[in-house]
Amino acid sequence: MTNASPRFPNGTTVAIGAILVALPWVLPSLTLASEILVVATGALSCTLLLGSVGLLSFGQGLYFGLGAYVSAILIRDFGMNASVAALAASVAGCLLAAAAGLLIVRRQGVYFVMLTLAFAQMGFFLALAFPKLTAGENGLGNVPRTTIAFGKFALSSPGLLYAFLALLCFAAFAIVQRIIASPFGSVLNSIRHNDNRSEALGYDVRRFKFAAVTIAGGIAALAGAMNTLMLSFVPLSAVDVETSERLLIASLIGGVGSPLGALVGATVLGAMSDFLSPVWPRWSMIVALLLIVVVLFLRDGLLGLGSVMGRHRKEAPNG
Amino acid sequence: MSTQVFIFGALNGVGIGMIYFILSIGLTMIFGLMQFVNFAHGAFYMVSAYAAFAIAQWTGSVLPALLISPLLAAIFALVSERVLLQRTYNLPHEAQILITFALAILAQETVTMIFGTLGKNVPVPEMFNGVVILGGFVYPSYRLFVVAVAVVVAVVMWLAIERTRLGAMLRAAAENAEMVGLLGFDSRKIFMGAFAFGGALAGLAGALAAPLRGVEPLMGREALAIAFVVVILGGLGSFSGALLAALLIGITQSLMSMIWPGGAHLMIYGVMTMILAFRPTGLMGRS
Repeated sequence: MTNASPRFPNGTTVAIGAILVALPWVLPSLTLASEILVVATGALSCTLLLGSVGLLSFGQGLYFGLGAYVSAILIRDFGMNASVAALAASVAGCLLAAAAGLLIVRRQGVYFVMLTLAFAQMGFFLALAFPKLTAGENGLGNVPRTTIAFGKFALSSPGLLYAFLALLCFAAFAIVQRIIASPFGSVLNSIRHNDNRSEALGYDVRRFKFAAVTIAGGIAALAGAMNTLMLSFVPLSAVDVETSERLLIASLIGGVGSPLGALVGATVLGAMSDFLSPVWPRWSMIVALLLIVVVLFLRDGLLGLGSVMGRHRKEAPNG
Repeated sequence: MSTQVFIFGALNGVGIGMIYFILSIGLTMIFGLMQFVNFAHGAFYMVSAYAAFAIAQWTGSVLPALLISPLLAAIFALVSERVLLQRTYNLPHEAQILITFALAILAQETVTMIFGTLGKNVPVPEMFNGVVILGGFVYPSYRLFVVAVAVVVAVVMWLAIERTRLGAMLRAAAENAEMVGLLGFDSRKIFMGAFAFGGALAGLAGALAAPLRGVEPLMGREALAIAFVVVILGGLGSFSGALLAALLIGITQSLMSMIWPGGAHLMIYGVMTMILAFRPTGLMGRS
């Protein structure tokens, strides 16, 4: 959380690219690496909101779920390719986030957080109430393995699927980095520090928050589309509150000070899930304890491990 | 739909709404008192409902749970406050939300570890197992009992807050905690009391609801979202707002479950969205 405005592309961009290339070689399975990409992209939307504007969202799973269903229906029923489906899902995510944002950004502080959770819960019950569209608890199946574009590059090979997901993931990270480095990003940063002062400087704080919520919705929906491409299936859990929570936890554990944190958090969480869940089904307890440690002692997440030694910051509460 | 069916649906809705009200009082009170957002509030409700399940298993009746479960929930809330939550009073809201959220996960996982992931039924107490004939209609007597208990609790709560010295102190502390501290009241004790009391009420809601809906590990999360809707619409720190909002969504849910069962829960949030679209600051107009 430096005051100097970050550049793009920078060392972080390179690090993200390097991690995306390295993951399949380091991890035991390509499936795990692909899952991490999906969670990292979804977590990125939380990082954008919390890290750059200071908005805590318990509801990014709503847009994740929307992206998952929209892309699945476009591929299965309209024969669209993966690129168009992912793009359309992101646009749908932006639109829904804009609609919800109209209601959400009118309320401040804790109301904002509660509203994100309430809307996420609403999305879950929507999916449950319209089983003709979403197949309800059974999950939306029979999504064919499509091609990347122009009927070429079928996503039936796991290697190519990973490469395509990595490309989408990298694009999302590049966009977020670009946004943070832009003048728009510095206004967001000033709102995070003090929204009254930003308002006094003449910025329409609500409009900036609205824009951030909209973009974050699009990114979360992209992650949902990636999930559909990976699974060829949309489980009802894609839209439940637990998905929202998982994305948020990944971003927090990695650290919201930098987009890289989302990738680090998703990797740590994915690896923990892979290694611990066969041994101990209740491994989420460890995640919860880790979350407490991060919030109390590591405000910049695992990424900030190196920089917090001997330094204690106390931020003014902003409600 | 005949008028009588409608009236019974509305009566059911009052019962559900009263449970939602009792559930939400603690959340809104703790926020009003100390500007503290408690994401573990649903966990108090869930833990208490599971305690009711266990008590019903041991003793054969869920009735003792109506006293013991709230007590256990109060102890759980008090211990959480002393061990963990009081360390976060000086941190930003976001930190409090995340710590209490982590606490809720811990509670949920512990309960799952003990009782398993599958939901369980809690038998209705024997003395309320039958039905009551009301105006030629058959009505489950436990539901009537729940409405009665909830109304009594709500009225007692109301009187306690509006008419007693303790209530006056709580209201004053909600307005200006620092000033109440300067008047010589120990704010630490007030905070502990608020947590114990709020936890007990969430616990009572959980124990009352257990025979109606059964118990399952995710019920705390669902209850938290409902309590949020109540305070979003009613306004944090407002008791009359919470009562109005809770009754509104309880009755909505109950009537919708007769018209469109698949969408009954959806409509709770649908009503919230519609109200927010026209009244951005909720029913009582406070922000």
